[in-house]
Amino acid sequence: MSDAMIEFREVTKRYAGLVANDRLSLTIRRGELMTLLGPSGCGKTTALRCLTGTIRPDAGRILLDGRDVTEVATHQRELGMVFQNFALFPHMTVRDNVGFPLMIRNLRKEARATRVQEALRLVRLEGYAEHYPRQLSGGQQQRVGLARALVYRPKVLLLDEPLSNLDAKLREEMRFEIKEVVTRLGITAMYVTHDQAEALALSDRVAIMNRGRLQQLGTPEEIYETPNSRFVAEFIGLSNFLEGRVASVRGATMTVTASGLSIHTPSLPEVAPGHKVLLFVRPNEIEILPAATPADTNVFPARVEKTTYLGDTMDYRLMLGEGVELRVQADARHRYGAGESVRLRWPRVRSWRANEE
Amino acid sequence: MTGFWRRHSIHGITGLLLLPAILCFFGLFFYPMLLTIVLSFRPEGQAVGWTLENYTRFLASPDGRWVILLTFILAVGSTALSVLLSVPLALTLREKIRGHRFYRLMVIVPLVVPGLIGALGLLLFWGTRGWFNLFLTQFVPFLPSPLRVNYTIHGLILFYVWLYFPYTCVTTMSALESLDQSIEEAGAVVGANRWQVLRYIVLPLITPGILAGSVLTFMAAFGAFSVPLIAGGDYRPLAVEIYKEISIPIPARWSAASAIAIVMGILQVAFLAMYMRIVRRAGGNAGAVR
Ligand SMILES: Nc1ncnc2c1ncn2[C@@H]1O[C@H](COP(=O)(O)OP(=O)(O)OP(=O)(O)O)[C@@H](O)[C@H]1O
Ligand SMILES: [Mg+2]
Repeated sequence: MSDAMIEFREVTKRYAGLVANDRLSLTIRRGELMTLLGPSGCGKTTALRCLTGTIRPDAGRILLDGRDVTEVATHQRELGMVFQNFALFPHMTVRDNVGFPLMIRNLRKEARATRVQEALRLVRLEGYAEHYPRQLSGGQQQRVGLARALVYRPKVLLLDEPLSNLDAKLREEMRFEIKEVVTRLGITAMYVTHDQAEALALSDRVAIMNRGRLQQLGTPEEIYETPNSRFVAEFIGLSNFLEGRVASVRGATMTVTASGLSIHTPSLPEVAPGHKVLLFVRPNEIEILPAATPADTNVFPARVEKTTYLGDTMDYRLMLGEGVELRVQADARHRYGAGESVRLRWPRVRSWRANEE
Repeated sequence: MTGFWRRHSIHGITGLLLLPAILCFFGLFFYPMLLTIVLSFRPEGQAVGWTLENYTRFLASPDGRWVILLTFILAVGSTALSVLLSVPLALTLREKIRGHRFYRLMVIVPLVVPGLIGALGLLLFWGTRGWFNLFLTQFVPFLPSPLRVNYTIHGLILFYVWLYFPYTCVTTMSALESLDQSIEEAGAVVGANRWQVLRYIVLPLITPGILAGSVLTFMAAFGAFSVPLIAGGDYRPLAVEIYKEISIPIPARWSAASAIAIVMGILQVAFLAMYMRIVRRAGGNAGAVR
């Protein structure tokens, strides 16, 4: 049995003059929870709808559990799906909503009742079987959606921004609930979102999409620690960017001149002095030190411009050398005030060749 | 003190604005209605005295009861056919097939063509020498004689459907339009095929819309006048019967006509009330469709 549960092979979908999915290739392993993450309009829903069969790709194949389903009708694909707007059947009670997939499959009445009961218990809604969707809160409705998607034990569970219609607190709660249910059932899940925090918290692996293409695929750590492009770095977490030129390369490290500073960073493959590079530092990877700190490698003088109190951290805007603005987030216990001179230490700087973009 | 005045002057202005409507209501609706009711209880041709004879004569005679039955047959038949026609048509036009805009426009043509002109056109088309029979006799061998459509009950129902089905069709189309696509998508993803999605999801959800539209078709068909007048032949529903009472005999039988009119009005209102109850019950389950 192969390891791949869902496979997109060079899937392309065009809408009048616009390529929503551009030769998208992606493999989701059996039992893994993968999030598809990307800005609005990058083609996430399109990819999902190609997988459900609601739309047909113009080119490419889609495989489900090793079987080519590109030509298979939606209702025969054995998928479970949770929708952004819940998409419950408004004329049916919770019991009938959850029981509908079983009714369609001609399950006997008693068997159906037990399975519905089980599914409702899974999402903690046992007491609501006789309610209509409009009598439930958003969070409850989405839990009904989850129960309906899982009750017939589909091969994979698809979730298209299932939490974006809920308020922030509920979103956080439901996030863990979904993760729990998916882990408990060991089901393969594909989770679409444009919320990076959700993606990092939930997934085994994250696929980042940009303009219909796969931009990067990796574990949440890989995506956050080693983004492969400015796009990914900007999309996941906060970042500072600096353009510069390679001054010298010495083994595993190189020196880059950017805005009058000499910055040491791990060298890139096939890089030579004179190449343009883009440097990248996360705001929480910069240390703020007192102005009296002695000069050292990657320690630069700066001036605090603006501070914002964020509770556990302080958010600083600093001016570095020749008019470079930096954003730094540091522990709020030791504070620096606006106008104060400080030194910044960059223990960790990453870089890409600038023409990679 | 100023509050008092402001309140009352607003009442005054509101009353003034309502005056034309109130006058119209009394002059054009209430007074004639009252007159009809009074007339229906007067002995024929007299200005004094009270009698129930106008009602008993109409309701007791086989002819009178046949007229009522006929009116119902025509209205129910054409409403049922309109629904049977509208649902598939609306479902088809929802898929953005070639020229769907044009067909959508065609649906409401009968509403803008005056009934009389429509009826004349239909008579010409369906007549024994009309295009329909011309086509039949040309292409169906061994047809003994042309099919009779005009001046028959089924012909009349056909005409009614042509004239009044747009009400049902337009509301059915708008009910379909307002249906959330993702609900159907959800049905398909959990395993329902096209028919099951239609039967268990789409139809129950658009039923309130269909019912609301069909009641309009029913009411129009129940009260139809010009079409059965010129295309009904010997089949005279209530409205034509009323007209007959005041146009054929000399002197005109105003009291008999009034009694039939009152009977018709009561039947219509009673039916409407019943229908609304059904619609509400059907709508209750489907819930505000989103
Ligand atoms: N039916 C359609 N007709 C034409 N263009 C479409 C259609 N559906 C989607 N698109 C376009 O395809 C692109 C991708 O859309 P898609 O819905 O996949 O984005 P998304 O990544 O899901 O965005 P969001 O995060 O906002 O849901 C968008 O630019 C959108 O305008
Ligand atoms: Mg989307």
